Amino acid sequence: MNFVVSSGALLKQLKSIGGVLNSSNTIPILDCFLFEVAKGELTLSASDMETTITTSLKVEASESGSLAIPAKTLLEALSNLPEQPISIIVEKSKLTAKLKTANGDYTLTGHNGEEYPKLPKLESQSSIVIKSDILLSAINKTIFATGNDDLRPVMSGVFCQFNETNSIFVATDAHKLVRYTRNDAKAGSVAGFIMPKKPLNVLKGLLSGIDDAVKIEFNKTNALYSFGSINLVCRLIDGKYPNYEAVIPKQNPNKLTIDRSQLLGALKRVSVFANKATHQIRLKVAGSSLTVSAEDLDFANDGTEHLVCTYIGEDMEIGFNSKFLVEMVSNLDSDEITIEMSAPNRAGIILPSQKSNPGEDVLMLVMPVMLNN
Amino acid sequence: MLRFVAISSLKNRYFWKVTVKEIMERRVMHMDLDSFFVSVERLQNSALMGKPVIICGSSDRGVVSSCSYEARQFGVHSAMSAKLARQLCPQGIFISGDMDAYSKHSRIVTEIIESRAPVVEKASIDEHYLDISGMDKYIKTATLWAHELRETIMQQTGLPISFGLSNNKTVSKIATNEAKPNGEKYIDLGLEKQFLAPLSIKKMPGVGDKTYVQLRSMGIEKIETVQQMQVGLFQRVMGENGVLIWKRCNAIDNNPVEPYSEQKSMSTETTFDKDTTDVQHLKRMVVSMVHELAFQLRKQEKVTGCVTLKLRYSDFQTHTFQMKIPYTASDHVIQKKLLELLDKNYTRRVLIRLIGIKFSHLVNGFNQINLFDDTEEMVKLYQAMDKIRLKFGDSAIKKAGGLGMGRRGEGHLPPGKDA
Repeated sequence: MNFVVSSGALLKQLKSIGGVLNSSNTIPILDCFLFEVAKGELTLSASDMETTITTSLKVEASESGSLAIPAKTLLEALSNLPEQPISIIVEKSKLTAKLKTANGDYTLTGHNGEEYPKLPKLESQSSIVIKSDILLSAINKTIFATGNDDLRPVMSGVFCQFNETNSIFVATDAHKLVRYTRNDAKAGSVAGFIMPKKPLNVLKGLLSGIDDAVKIEFNKTNALYSFGSINLVCRLIDGKYPNYEAVIPKQNPNKLTIDRSQLLGALKRVSVFANKATHQIRLKVAGSSLTVSAEDLDFANDGTEHLVCTYIGEDMEIGFNSKFLVEMVSNLDSDEITIEMSAPNRAGIILPSQKSNPGEDVLMLVMPVMLNN
Repeated sequence: MLRFVAISSLKNRYFWKVTVKEIMERRVMHMDLDSFFVSVERLQNSALMGKPVIICGSSDRGVVSSCSYEARQFGVHSAMSAKLARQLCPQGIFISGDMDAYSKHSRIVTEIIESRAPVVEKASIDEHYLDISGMDKYIKTATLWAHELRETIMQQTGLPISFGLSNNKTVSKIATNEAKPNGEKYIDLGLEKQFLAPLSIKKMPGVGDKTYVQLRSMGIEKIETVQQMQVGLFQRVMGENGVLIWKRCNAIDNNPVEPYSEQKSMSTETTFDKDTTDVQHLKRMVVSMVHELAFQLRKQEKVTGCVTLKLRYSDFQTHTFQMKIPYTASDHVIQKKLLELLDKNYTRRVLIRLIGIKFSHLVNGFNQINLFDDTEEMVKLYQAMDKIRLKFGDSAIKKAGGLGMGRRGEGHLPPGKDA
């Protein structure tokens, strides 16, 4: 197999799919990109066994074939080459790829392309079409709330639900939860699956700057995302997602409305003085004053800030992990936010006060720490 | 007063700001209540005076935590098994001990000492270190002051106490042991080595049975011999610990008297009345111990990041297993992890003599409530149980699963805490 391709175009495509590859693999072929040429089209694939992503570009090819080429070396070589057409000549018998450039010739030894993990075939699948910007903001708003607990794999992904009236994306690690609803994205039938974190991060990179609609096809075990020339297939997380609706408290009489950037600034500053292992801070609301305070008894450090807020409800004191609060508040984009609470031992709900997008509905929930009072 | 703080509480980094002379001429006092548990029992029941009294667990399986000097004549000593103590001293009066009363009296003694001494370190329930360097500027002499303090404590509490006074903690502690019972010993500046020289190496803190055997095999019996030897030899044979022993034998101990030290872990353990392989029983014991310790954790507003399970088999082989966990103070989370450890590691099917648990990596903070595991009822239940226990005592309310677990939670005695 040999073909001619623009070095810049090849590098761009390889970089966009390279995020799938793990940095260390037990099987050497997983350190490689798969190059396949057929009918004047070059198909590039990257896989970590769980997630496989392919993209294609038009090339001038004289014969077809395939080879798995070590990713790290190839990316380094290409990124140091000036933009130019390069011809790549593959010798199947020796498993080598020769890069002929204006600067010189380089030879890389690869692996047999037929041994590369194949894209799984999706059988009995359903499909949905969703706008790329909706998918992108759904990922951005939810992915930070996913968990890392190996014992509860379902929580390490984002639960995506589609139905006739809206689409709902949920992420939780049992301490915080985000429910992101889009009323402007609908599906023909009710469907849902749990997407793992890693392919979502890859998708996040691919979707920014793309305007196409994304077609999602899925069955019980896999999902295929296709847009532009890209196809991403990933294995879904198997399991039952916890009943998140049941844990979102409905009655929250205490409502606190506050300027988002002011609160974020205060949280970031005060949390510096919190214990470095637990990051715990206290919020104390009395009348229209919110006191944010933290202390680290080990070093006798403490910090307090007073903020003005609008508050309806009984005075209360509640403790939170400041990291969670900062993540949530910085992930919202309205000028003002509302924190709804009921009791110091029950969840706090953070909502944007104004909707920036009428089709969008964000709910963030954070569990408090049990203060001794 | 500031001067004392500068010498005693600052860490090594600042130590060099204090002159060597000031370190060499410190006046460090070690006070130790004589057979403390027995003395408290005698306060409550004067009929025990002059009789061999032995404080140990309620059953034959426990160890002696304290014994009176009369009992010591029969060869009974602390940390000895209760069974052996009974054989050695059948006429002895065996008492199962009341930890609450001991703590109360210990606090009273601490209060008296703290009201008079500038820097006090409470080393254990019956031991205190005092740094009284420079006090002679304000008082007659350190020796007289120390004597008066001892008299005051004995007058106000009725508990006999002994002390040693020298220029460092190690020498003072040994001096106290020499002064006991009911005595006081002053080691004048410069005479520390001379004082240590004729003593047996076994009297040195840090020399346990194993080290003692090792030292004896090296031909060392008296501290004097160590003083004549080179430090290099100790380092080669016993590493860092050897250097420490050598230094102590040469009366070198620059450790400051530290008024407060952060608790690094909390633990509890139980010796069974009868060695057991009953897994259900072991599990119930773990549940009961977690219930007790997790409450302490919450009471102190702490969370733990590491739990340890300790198993001692009937052949005295002891194994510990530990697991890092996300910071928590929840009974059911910790309990689950410890039961997992027990399930995974108790595979030998050998009789178990003792089971213990430990929480370490303690951090100040509160328990993070979990969205799915902690129901609202559960959170409220913890709060209610803690409230009851704060008001009516640790054993006022228990989990059904941990019921009938002997004297758990009613102040069991640590072995050999009393001298």
